[in-house]
Amino acid sequence: MIADGAEDEEKWLAAGAAAFKQNAFYMQRAIDSNNLKDALKYSAQMLSELRTSKLSPPKYYDLYMRAFDELRKLEIFFMEETRRGCSVIELYELVQHAGNILPRLYLLCTAGSVYIKTKEAPSKEILKDLVEMCRGIQHPLRGLFLRSYLAQISRDKLPDIGSEYEGDADTVTDAVEFVLLNFTEMNKLWVRMQHQGPAREKERREKERGELRDLVGKNLHVLSQLEGVDLDMYRDTVLPRVLEQIVNCRDEIAQYYLIDCIIQVFPDEYHLQTLDVLLGACPQLQPSVDIMTVLSRLMERLSNYAALNAEVLPYFLQVEAFSKLNNAIGKVIEAQEDMPILSAVTLYSSLLKFTLHVHPDRLDYADQVLGSCVKQLSGKGKIDDTRATKELVSLLSAPLEKYNDVVTALKLTNYPLVVEYLDTETKRIMATVIIRSIMKNNTLITTAEKVEALFELIKGLINDLDEPQGLEVDEDDFEEEQNSVARLIHMLYNDDPEEMFKIVSILKKHFLTGGPKRLKFTIPPLVVSTLKLIRRLPVEGDNPFGKEASVTATKIFQFLNQIIEALPNVPSPDLAFRLYLQCAEAANKCDEEPIAYEFFTQAYILYEEEISDSKAQVTALQLIIGTLQRMHVFGVENRDTLTHKATGYSAKLLKKPDQCRAVYACSHLFWLEDRETIQDGERVLLCLKRALKIANSAQQMANKARGSTGSVTLFIEILNKYLYFYQKGVPQITVESVESLIKLIKNEESMASDPSAESFFASTLQFMEFEKQKEGAIGERYQEIKV
Amino acid sequence: MPSRRRTLLKVIILGDSGVGKTSLMNQYVNKKFSNQYKATIGADFLTKEVQFEDRLFTLQIWDTAGQERFQSLGVAFYRGADCCVLVYDVNSMKSFENLNNWREEFLIQASPSDPENFPFVLIGNKVDVDGGNSRVVSEKKAKAWCASKGNIPYFETSAKEGTNVEEAFQCIAKNALKSGEEEELYLPDTIDVGTSNQQRSTGCEC
Repeated sequence: MIADGAEDEEKWLAAGAAAFKQNAFYMQRAIDSNNLKDALKYSAQMLSELRTSKLSPPKYYDLYMRAFDELRKLEIFFMEETRRGCSVIELYELVQHAGNILPRLYLLCTAGSVYIKTKEAPSKEILKDLVEMCRGIQHPLRGLFLRSYLAQISRDKLPDIGSEYEGDADTVTDAVEFVLLNFTEMNKLWVRMQHQGPAREKERREKERGELRDLVGKNLHVLSQLEGVDLDMYRDTVLPRVLEQIVNCRDEIAQYYLIDCIIQVFPDEYHLQTLDVLLGACPQLQPSVDIMTVLSRLMERLSNYAALNAEVLPYFLQVEAFSKLNNAIGKVIEAQEDMPILSAVTLYSSLLKFTLHVHPDRLDYADQVLGSCVKQLSGKGKIDDTRATKELVSLLSAPLEKYNDVVTALKLTNYPLVVEYLDTETKRIMATVIIRSIMKNNTLITTAEKVEALFELIKGLINDLDEPQGLEVDEDDFEEEQNSVARLIHMLYNDDPEEMFKIVSILKKHFLTGGPKRLKFTIPPLVVSTLKLIRRLPVEGDNPFGKEASVTATKIFQFLNQIIEALPNVPSPDLAFRLYLQCAEAANKCDEEPIAYEFFTQAYILYEEEISDSKAQVTALQLIIGTLQRMHVFGVENRDTLTHKATGYSAKLLKKPDQCRAVYACSHLFWLEDRETIQDGERVLLCLKRALKIANSAQQMANKARGSTGSVTLFIEILNKYLYFYQKGVPQITVESVESLIKLIKNEESMASDPSAESFFASTLQFMEFEKQKEGAIGERYQEIKV
Repeated sequence: MPSRRRTLLKVIILGDSGVGKTSLMNQYVNKKFSNQYKATIGADFLTKEVQFEDRLFTLQIWDTAGQERFQSLGVAFYRGADCCVLVYDVNSMKSFENLNNWREEFLIQASPSDPENFPFVLIGNKVDVDGGNSRVVSEKKAKAWCASKGNIPYFETSAKEGTNVEEAFQCIAKNALKSGEEEELYLPDTIDVGTSNQQRSTGCEC
C-alpha cells in the first residue's frame, strides 16, 4: 500500500510537472512577445497545478519551487510592463480575473510585490490586503505554501527601519503586525491539519506536519531579521504575541517546535532580558510537550553565550538568570510527576553546565544543582537507562572539565552522592574519567582528607566487595584501570612526612580491603611512594629542639612489612620477594640493621617456600646476590649468615651451568674494593674453585651426552672472574692459577666446534693484551701473565 | 526579439551552523552586520542587482539553515542554482571538515548537468576574530582543498568588517553567469492550435 502510494505520488508529481512545464513554456512565450493577457492566462493555468491534494509536503514543495521560479520571470515582466506605462493598479486588478482562487492569489501576491516596488501605494496597505486575501485558502497544505510565498515576496519589502519602504505612514510596527498576522494564520492552518481526516492516519499526518513546520517557523526568522525589532519591540510586542499564539493553540507539536524556534532565532541578550516571560510560558504548555529538551537548549545557548562573551556576565547576575532557571526547572519537574529520569538528568546537566560557565566562582550553585539532582534520583535506585547513565556521566564530568582540578570538585558535597546512583560499571567509568583528569592536569592531592574524599569517588576501581557475583570484567580493561590507579598513587603527595604518612596509611587501608585481585597493581607503587617518604625523613638529631617526630623510619618499615606481607597470599610471591629486597636496601641506607636483616629473612623465606620454578630461582638469586653485595649495614655475623645462605642456594640450583654462574657470582660477596672489612680473598678463591669444579662436572655430563657444547663458555666466564680479582690485587688469585686456567681452555677440544666460545676467548685474550699496554700497576700485573 | 535573457542568477549558500552565512548575505545586500547569533529557519533569499559587463543582473542569494532540524522540507530550492557558495569558519576545524559533505550533498540533490564543472566558491569567514589568533584552518589548507576540487575560487572574508565580501560576491556572480547551467529546455509535445495563434513552434526560441 505504502509503496504504491509513493509510486502514485511520483506519477502525480510527474504529471503535474509536465502540465506545469507546458503552461510555463507558453507563459514564457507570451512574456517574450509582451503579451500580458496570454502571460496571465498561462501563468494561471500553470499555477492551477498547485491545486492538487495528492502530493505529500516535500513533493508539493518541489512543484511550488518550480512555480516560484516561473513567477520570478513573471514578476520581472510585470515590472517591465509598468515601466512601459501599464498602470500597476490596473495590473493588480487584472490578475484577479483568474478563475480559480489559488492561482489568483499567487498572481495577486506577485502583482502586489511589483505594486509595493513602484511605491504607488503605502507598502503596509498592500501587505494588509494580501495577508487578508490569503484567508481565501483554508486548505492547510495549500494555504501554508501560499502564505509562505507571501512571506517570501514581502521579505525585502517590509517597512522596516532603514528600509526604502519605511515612511511616515509605514513603520516597523506595521511590518511586525503583518508578519505576526501571517504567522498566526499559518499556525492555525498547521494546527488544524492535526484534526482533519480519519484517526488511523494520525501518524502520517504528524509526519506531514513535521515536514511543514519550517514554513511556520520561517515567520519567526523573518521577525528576528528585522532591524526594527529591538529589545523593546521584542519584549513588548513580538514575544508576548508569539507566546500567546503558541500557548493558545494547545497543540503539542506546534508548541514544542515554535518555542525551540524562538530560542534559536532570537539573540541571546533578548532571552536574557525576557527570561521570566519565556520561562513563565513553559508551565502553560500542554503537559506532553518535551519542555526538558526545550529548556536544555535554552541553557546550552546561554552557556555558550556566556562562555564566548565574558563581558556579558554581569547581565546574567543582574537578571538572576541562575535562580530563575533553577526555579523554572523545579516547577516543571514538580508538575510532571512521572517524568523520565533521562529528562530530569538532562535538565540538571544543562543547568550545571550553565552555572559552571556563567558563575564559575559560585561553587554553591553547582552544589545546589547536584543536590536537586540527588533529590530527584532518590528512591529510584540505581539507574538502568543507558542514556540517562551517559547523561549522568556527562553531568559529573562537567565540573572536572570546567575547573581542570579535581580538588575543586571534591569540595562539592553532593558530588559523591550523585556518583552513588551509578551502577557498578559506570562507577568504574566515572572513576577512570576522574583519574584521567587528575593525570592530565597534573593535579597533586595533598591532604589525607582529600585523598579520603577522592577514594570515596573512585572506589569503583578500588574495591570489589559490593560487586554482584558473576559480573565479568574484561581482563584487559581491568588491567588498564588498575594501572591508572597505580599512576594515580604518585599524584597523592605531601612534602610533610606526617601528612604523607597519613596519606599512605589511607591507601593501605583501602587497598588491603579492596580485594586481592588489585594488590599486585597497587602495592608496588605504594611501596615506592613510601620508600620515597623514608628518604625524605629528617636525619635523626637534626632537630635538637625536641618535638618528637611521630613518623620514624622504624614505623614506616613496619608499615612496609605489613603491606608487602599481603602479596604472597595473592599470590604474587615473586613481587613480594622483590619488594622485600628493595625495602632491605632502603633500610640499609637508613642504617637499620635489624630491619634490613628482617626484610632479607622475609625474602629468603619466600625464595625457599614460594619460588619453585628453576628459571625464576636463577633470576631471584641474581637479585639476592646483587642486593646483598650492596649492603653495608650488616655486622660480620649477620652478613656471614646471609652470604652463607646465598652460596648454599647457588649450589642447589637445578642445572649445572646455573649453579656454576651463581657460585662464581657469589665471589663478589666477599671482596668489596671500598670496604676493607669485606675483603676475604680465601673465600673468593673458594667460590671460583667451586665454580670450576661444577664447570668440570658439567663438561663431563656434556661429553656423555655427546655433541652438546657450551661448558667451555663457563670456563671462559670463570677466567674473566679470575682476571677481575687478579686485577684488584686479591693475593689468593695468583699468576699461576690464571695461566693454568688459560692453558686448560686452550686444550679444550670442544672449542673448535663452538664459534661463539672461540670468539669470547679471543676477545678475553685481546682484553689482557690491551691491559698489558697500560702504564702503572695494572699493566705490570698483566705483563706477569704468560700466555 | 531578444533571445531568452538570463537576467536572474541563483546562488545557494551552504555551510555549518554559525559560520556566518546569513551575516555574509546581509553584509553584501544590506551592508549591515549584527554580532548576535540568530538561527535561520528553512531557506530564505535576498536579491541584489549587479552590473556586469554593461548588463544588469538580479542575484538571488539563498541563505540556508545550517541546523538540520530547521530544514524540514528538504532542499528542492537547490534546483536551478547557478553557483553554490560553501562557507566555513576559519576558527572551526569541524566547519571546514564538513565542506566535503555540503558539496557532495549539493551535487546529489541539485544534480547539475555537468557536476564536474559546476561553479562553487569557497569562503573562509570570521578572519577578524581575535585578530586571527584563534584561527585553526590555514589559508594553505583551504587552498589545497580548493585545488583538489577543481580549482574552486577561494576568499577569506569578515562579514563583520565587510572585508572581501564585495570581491567574493563579484566572483560568485561572474561564475554564476559563466555557469553552463541552461534552464531546462522544454518543448511541448502537442501544440494547442486552438489557443495558440502564434507562429508554430520550431523548437528554437531564436
